[in-house]
Amino acid sequence: MKKTEFSSELLRERYTLMEHESGLSVYVFPKKLTSTYALFATKYGSIDNTFIENGTKITVPDGIAHFLEHKLFENEDGSDSFSRFSALGADANAYTSYGRTAYLFSCTENFEASLEELLRFVTTPHFTEASVKKEQGIIAEEIRMYEDSPWDRCQRLLFCALYHSHPIRKNICGSIKSIGEITPSLLYQCHRVFYHPSNMVLIVCGDVTEEQVMAVVDGVLPREVKPHTLERVLPEEPPTVAKQRIECRMQVSKPLFCIGIKDPVLVADPKERLRRDAAMTLLDEILFSRSGELYSALFEEGIITPSFFGDYSCTDSFAYHCISGEADDPEEVLRRIKAYLAEVMERGIDREVFERCRRVLYSDELRAYDSTEEIANRLLSFVFDDAEMFSYPALLQSITAEELEELLRKSFREEYFAISIVYPMETEEKENE
Amino acid sequence: MIPTFHQIAPELTLRAYPTEKFKAAMLSVSAVLPITRESACKTTLLLAVLRRGTEKYPNLAAINARLDYLFGTELSIRNYYRGDSQIIGFSADFLDTVYVPREEMLLEGILDVISQMLFHPLLDGDGLLLERYVESEKELQCESIRSLKNSPRSYATEKCRALLYRDEPCGASVVGSEEQVMSITREELTAHWKELLSNLRLDAFFVGRDEKSLISALSQCLLPEMKAHCKTPLAKGGLYRVFAEPKKEPLYAEDTLPVSQGQLLLGYRTGVTLTDENFYACTLLNEILGASPISKLFMNVREKQSLCYHCASSYNAYKGAILISCGLEPSNRDVAERAILAQLEALRRGEITEEELSAAKKSLENGYRQLLDSPGDMETYYYGRALLGVDSSLELCRERIRGVTREEIAALAQGLILDTVYFLRGTLEGGDGYEED
Repeated sequence: MKKTEFSSELLRERYTLMEHESGLSVYVFPKKLTSTYALFATKYGSIDNTFIENGTKITVPDGIAHFLEHKLFENEDGSDSFSRFSALGADANAYTSYGRTAYLFSCTENFEASLEELLRFVTTPHFTEASVKKEQGIIAEEIRMYEDSPWDRCQRLLFCALYHSHPIRKNICGSIKSIGEITPSLLYQCHRVFYHPSNMVLIVCGDVTEEQVMAVVDGVLPREVKPHTLERVLPEEPPTVAKQRIECRMQVSKPLFCIGIKDPVLVADPKERLRRDAAMTLLDEILFSRSGELYSALFEEGIITPSFFGDYSCTDSFAYHCISGEADDPEEVLRRIKAYLAEVMERGIDREVFERCRRVLYSDELRAYDSTEEIANRLLSFVFDDAEMFSYPALLQSITAEELEELLRKSFREEYFAISIVYPMETEEKENE
Repeated sequence: MIPTFHQIAPELTLRAYPTEKFKAAMLSVSAVLPITRESACKTTLLLAVLRRGTEKYPNLAAINARLDYLFGTELSIRNYYRGDSQIIGFSADFLDTVYVPREEMLLEGILDVISQMLFHPLLDGDGLLLERYVESEKELQCESIRSLKNSPRSYATEKCRALLYRDEPCGASVVGSEEQVMSITREELTAHWKELLSNLRLDAFFVGRDEKSLISALSQCLLPEMKAHCKTPLAKGGLYRVFAEPKKEPLYAEDTLPVSQGQLLLGYRTGVTLTDENFYACTLLNEILGASPISKLFMNVREKQSLCYHCASSYNAYKGAILISCGLEPSNRDVAERAILAQLEALRRGEITEEELSAAKKSLENGYRQLLDSPGDMETYYYGRALLGVDSSLELCRERIRGVTREEIAALAQGLILDTVYFLRGTLEGGDGYEED
């Protein structure tokens, strides 16, 4: 077993990576808090719906990663893993995102038994026709719940505008039609392909030792496993946006908008990618934060409401800025943002603002180490992105204003912009008149 | 350990939980006001206007830039109900002083911003709160009233809450109605602000390292201003609570909304609150009924009958009400209501397995232990109990939880009175995952 230690003098924290014989990467982050949090995750999310197994390209129904997450909690003896965690006094849950599926629990006692249950239920699938059918009803209601969320819809429409073919366009839960096509054998296949220990990590944060964790891992996971190759297939994605504008109508009181700026530069090197991520995040803080000129002007003029937010997301297959908010005239907001960006490109970034924003991000970074849940999930993001978490504060300090000015000129180009708008229902407007 | 209590002055208290385990500290200052239908939404508007601009920091950009400079301090408005009281104030999350050079005077800086907001909001030449900010915040508050419908579950919950507490002060909406908000004048709002200051009592709650520096900062930065504005005897301390007579028949109400899901809510009166002997039995009742992932509602209405994704209950310990909520396909309304009632009937018959009881107790004990990991949860717990003068020892809580019997829970369940049934009927088809192709 190979062991690597990471520590940060600034943060006064440390963690250890242990590479288990099964191929599983195990991270232990000691933290003297009451609750211990464990996260067992696979690098498998809703975008991984096409892959190659035994030389054959396979496309599975949309929403299957999320469906699998629901179904793994059911055991062969008919019991439910939620009940087992409850009997131990642990609080279990799971989530599926575009790029990962994570199973987790937090506890204040019975840590080892809970960890054993976590590792066991995720690695021993059991699916039947009847249980799959039953789950379709539950997930149908989950799909409807998200459909009724205008912010969720607005963001999803933005992805449809920004991307021509990348599966980020698809709903994480799928649709009622697509989940109707899911069968036990498809679930077993996806589990086989994506739940191999070499595609998974275990992260534990809390008042525990490496020995405690590894003893449980050794007891549940095999020492030797067949080598596994995993090949995901993503469609070609052109650099430009698919549509400049998408709109829909639903139950909202005021139009909602998401303005996206696609970043077609997908950096393969993880260190370089982390640097780009940090730089773009700082740039967005400077441009779009609540203490910035743009927000202040739009808000004081009554163009936007306080729910205005801009940030940057990036992975190895997609990257974009998203600025969301509410406004009677979202197109006006878009014009103002473009005009403001042109102005900053022309006159450069105010150095005092640059330092202030960097100070905010630096403070946020320090404050991100107060909860075992937050630490574990944050570490997972870095690990799945092949990046080292403790390198971030120094990276942030090394970014220069000149670097940001160049990024600004190269990134915020007309052809990368798109907007999605959710307008209020027409009928309601008429009733009011 | 429980927070240390300091009566800094008759009008200013501090509860401090000194700890070195967090990198971020938390400080809140709160005042307790009785809720009235007229004042609740006016107070909400006032807080927003106070947060908008002050003499030293005349607009949001200036306030936010100052907070950024204070190492990204997050300052938010506190405005929530406890019983029939409205708790208002400000809360700050900030980097603990040990990570900040001493010369930065972080605590003083934060209290200066709070004190600016409370005592020095921007005024017009006529001595009234700035017209531009008042009008802008009135519009924003109306918008937030209209946008309640953006989230069907929150909207339905608020509608049901208002009906459930229709004969009690806390039935008043914290944002009010558009008509109410638009009718508030600058004169009224300014008078409301001055009245608030004239007998202001503040309770501070702190989780962090430097308790001593905080006491001196509070005494220097906040207390003199409080004393200068105080004109009448202090407001009564503690929580206001009003309990209406239970109704003989439940109230049924229904609305429609053009969304795809329906929201069914059932409001019950338990007659048991935090100050009652069987409070812990009632907490367990709620846990077993609908607050855990192995609750009767989750296991049966969701897992066995596949009627919904969300079906849960919540217990308001200050008012003694249990609210059950369920998001479902509108045509399943009656089936789901029967399924929910059947689970409650089972509880009334004492059908609680040993596993259910033991898991619920463990879950609550786990929750009580975990609250020490979150400054916000600590405030909710300790300050909430302090307001009612209830013992806040966590050991005692766990002991009381362990002592509850199945019979006590069943007896409580038998006493539950259904007060309000509210249904928000979604009128759209939905379910296609809204693909844009």
